[in-house]
Amino acid sequence: MEVEKNVQNQPHVEMSTAKPCRSCKWQTPDPTDPHRGQCTANRHAMGGVWKRWLRDVENTTCSRHEEGKLSFRDHV
Amino acid sequence: MNDIASAKVLEYKGNTLRFTPEDPAEAKIPADELHEHLQKPSTARTKRLKERCRWKHASAGEFIEKSVTAGIERMRYLTEAHKASVGQPEAIRRALGLANVLNKSTLVLQEDEFIVGYHAEDPNMFPLYPELSHMAVQDYLRSDYSPQPADEAAAINEYWKPHSLQSKCQPYFDPADLGRMYQVSSMEAPSFASGYNSIVPPYETVLEDGLLARIKLAEKHIAEAQADMSTFPWDGTKGLDNIAKIDNWKAMVIACNAVISWARRQARLCRIVAENFETDPKRQAELLEIADICQRIPAEPCKGLKDAMQAKFFTFLICHAIERYASGYAQKEDTLLWPYYKASVIDKKFQPMDHMGAVELVEMERLKISEHGAGKSRAYREIFPGSNDLFILTVGGTNAKGEDACNDMTDAILEAAKRIRTAEPSIVFRYSKKNREKTLRWVFECIRDGLGYPSIKHDEIGTEQMKEYAKFSLHGNGATDEEAHNWVNVLCMSPGIHGRRKTQKTRSEGGGSIFPAKLLEITLDGGYDWSYADMQLGPKTGDLASLKTFEDVWEAFREQYQYAINLCISTKDVSRYFEQRFLQMPFVSAIDDGCMELGMDACALSEQPNGWHNPITTIVAANSLVAIKKLVFEDKKYTLAQLSQALKSNWEGFEEMRVDFKRAPKWGNDDDYADGIITRFYEEIIGGEMRKITNYSGGPVMPTGQAVGLYMEVGSRTGPTPDGRFGGEAADDGGISPYMGTDKKGPTAVLRSVSKVQKNQKGNLLNQRLSVPIMRSKHGFEIWNSYMKTWHDLNIDHVQFNVVSTDEMRAAQREPEKHHDLIVRVSGYSARFVDIPTYGQNTIIARQEQDFSASDLEFLNVEI
Repeated sequence: MEVEKNVQNQPHVEMSTAKPCRSCKWQTPDPTDPHRGQCTANRHAMGGVWKRWLRDVENTTCSRHEEGKLSFRDHV
Repeated sequence: MNDIASAKVLEYKGNTLRFTPEDPAEAKIPADELHEHLQKPSTARTKRLKERCRWKHASAGEFIEKSVTAGIERMRYLTEAHKASVGQPEAIRRALGLANVLNKSTLVLQEDEFIVGYHAEDPNMFPLYPELSHMAVQDYLRSDYSPQPADEAAAINEYWKPHSLQSKCQPYFDPADLGRMYQVSSMEAPSFASGYNSIVPPYETVLEDGLLARIKLAEKHIAEAQADMSTFPWDGTKGLDNIAKIDNWKAMVIACNAVISWARRQARLCRIVAENFETDPKRQAELLEIADICQRIPAEPCKGLKDAMQAKFFTFLICHAIERYASGYAQKEDTLLWPYYKASVIDKKFQPMDHMGAVELVEMERLKISEHGAGKSRAYREIFPGSNDLFILTVGGTNAKGEDACNDMTDAILEAAKRIRTAEPSIVFRYSKKNREKTLRWVFECIRDGLGYPSIKHDEIGTEQMKEYAKFSLHGNGATDEEAHNWVNVLCMSPGIHGRRKTQKTRSEGGGSIFPAKLLEITLDGGYDWSYADMQLGPKTGDLASLKTFEDVWEAFREQYQYAINLCISTKDVSRYFEQRFLQMPFVSAIDDGCMELGMDACALSEQPNGWHNPITTIVAANSLVAIKKLVFEDKKYTLAQLSQALKSNWEGFEEMRVDFKRAPKWGNDDDYADGIITRFYEEIIGGEMRKITNYSGGPVMPTGQAVGLYMEVGSRTGPTPDGRFGGEAADDGGISPYMGTDKKGPTAVLRSVSKVQKNQKGNLLNQRLSVPIMRSKHGFEIWNSYMKTWHDLNIDHVQFNVVSTDEMRAAQREPEKHHDLIVRVSGYSARFVDIPTYGQNTIIARQEQDFSASDLEFLNVEI
């Protein structure tokens, strides 16, 4: 059960999800390939971001999904 | 709140030193509002121009100003010409593309400006380059900055997919390798995927000859080549070479004519506005003067300083934004403009003005560059946070005779920078002990005002480097010993030749980055990236159990590094192969004496090799190796398996262990243990392995360590590291700078550490933060001047300074709207502090602010 919860917390493949990383405020596009993305949800107290690469932003999701877009001030 | 005056008192050589401000009026200025008192535009006009400047700064991939967007005209007219020119030689198609853009694009003329010209249809816009990378344009199409109409832009991008540089190059690489590069975590993406580029335009030929003379030269060469082809007896082994040459010369003629017509369109526009719309007689006269200038130049040689500034700006727009995108503002501006300064300011022969007239012109130039928009890919909108692009010009140094090259134009450039206070363009000062003190004082004034520039490069190191590279010239026509003095920074850090020929024309010659911190991270996991992409990122160099000694770790890292750097350089050379076949630059070729003489395209001709690549995050990797050697293999306090477990837990539950690794010896403290390992790392691996590679031009590729904003971006893609760093934390902010906050032994200990790395380096960025009260005190110049002399004698390549207080940066975080004029040095470029993301701001605040002790002053031999 604990393992299941952790999986839901992390970006994981869910084909045709209604909450894709693409629309999540914590997602930012991949620097090079627009089909990929980066998750910026992991943050330090100092404001640092530990990114995770997203292979497929249309079909990846997690329980922390929130619609929106962060200001540039909240990125690195 | 602190004030600027320091309470510090120092006993030095029997004297009591107090650091009261050199300008007594500053004593009462609160430390958090200093910058508000430093801006002094030379005229009301430049003050107005700055107030209405259309900044295009970007951070985290986003433009700060909401009105900024991509234009469509360049891509529309380039595509129209490409479709209409099917079947013609590729060089000529490229020239026709440029001509169509210049003939049809909307012109922009703004109030108050004296230097005219823009590269998009609206001053809030910038052009895009679908012929380079369709992925980069696709990113814009999905963004808030998409060109309109969006359907047309999408169709244009679709059209270019099979024709783009990206599509030409990709098939020659394993998709897995490219996928690793595209992530920008261990390697920068290749230029064919990002479209990023650099150039040193041969401005000299435009200013000295004018384009009509270049056209005559090309036509003469065409006639000679045609005559050669009809000469008896025909020799097919040589005669056929004329075909490509004739095509190139014809393309040059088309390009030059198009640029002249475009400049004359600007002239007509100014005249129409003056004669039909402008009501202010003074501005009316000025518009007619601009019309006269644009009618004459760049067609004809420049005669005065106004001519030269305008011709230079037109050339910049074509070479950096219209014919092809290129970052940078490389030029030896004081040398280039000196004859025209002399004609206008000293001899008053043409366009007479006084020195302050020259200063005003430079201020206007700086604002034109500040307004410039670059259609960069997302990666490059992320990695220079707070700026619009990298714009860096060079001044100072020595001339071809080895004499001081500083002149009154140098001083005008520096004075204008100090007065107008813009982050762009940044300035590099080539430091020589022959430089006159008057100019050094201007350099110091800019630095202590917190501009973050000039950054300083060692004049002799750069000159010797040009001589060394010349030895590898494939046709024996590299820089002569005299020409070796004619160097500028191509971008932030790497010297390259400037002048009428032998300059760098494409970033496939030199540029791009490799990230040792990430490579070290995956070395500890057999090449697997567990912390960012969850995939194999490099060769399978073996698991932890196979790393039984420190040398095993060292060699595994070497293998990861060899793989990555080989891929980086081979992608650049493949780009070069296709650039000269499908991305010719007829205008750049026309203004290069070598290309003109030989009938070659600028991407094909290489006279002076200049191979380089930027290692970024080297110190995180190096400090990590030191900690591993000491704590795992020497003290045996921990095993590699324990370290790996702690790293994969992001040190959670391993705090005592993290503190041990954090406290292990660090770079920048003149610590022989750390410095010995790290010097070997730089010289044997970072430089030693890189220089084994030979690039397109036949020369070695050498490291130019620096960071730009990648120290934050790559840090965010790098997991925890054995130097005690947490996952995602920023990496080191220079090429050879100590990690932020770990240089505890003062500024001279940093210099001593850095001076130990001498072999196999092309350049290394040293970022230092100096105390505001000390620099603004009556002793500031003497201390800085002594520091520079010592730096020079230690044979260190580079140094740049932040002189901005924590008070002021914290105040700007609290109330950004009040601090738009606060500028900081990020790394290799300066930026408006308030346009940088909060975390980036914090990394600058966290840098060690270097104070000076009595023993530091003694080491520097300060005479007070």
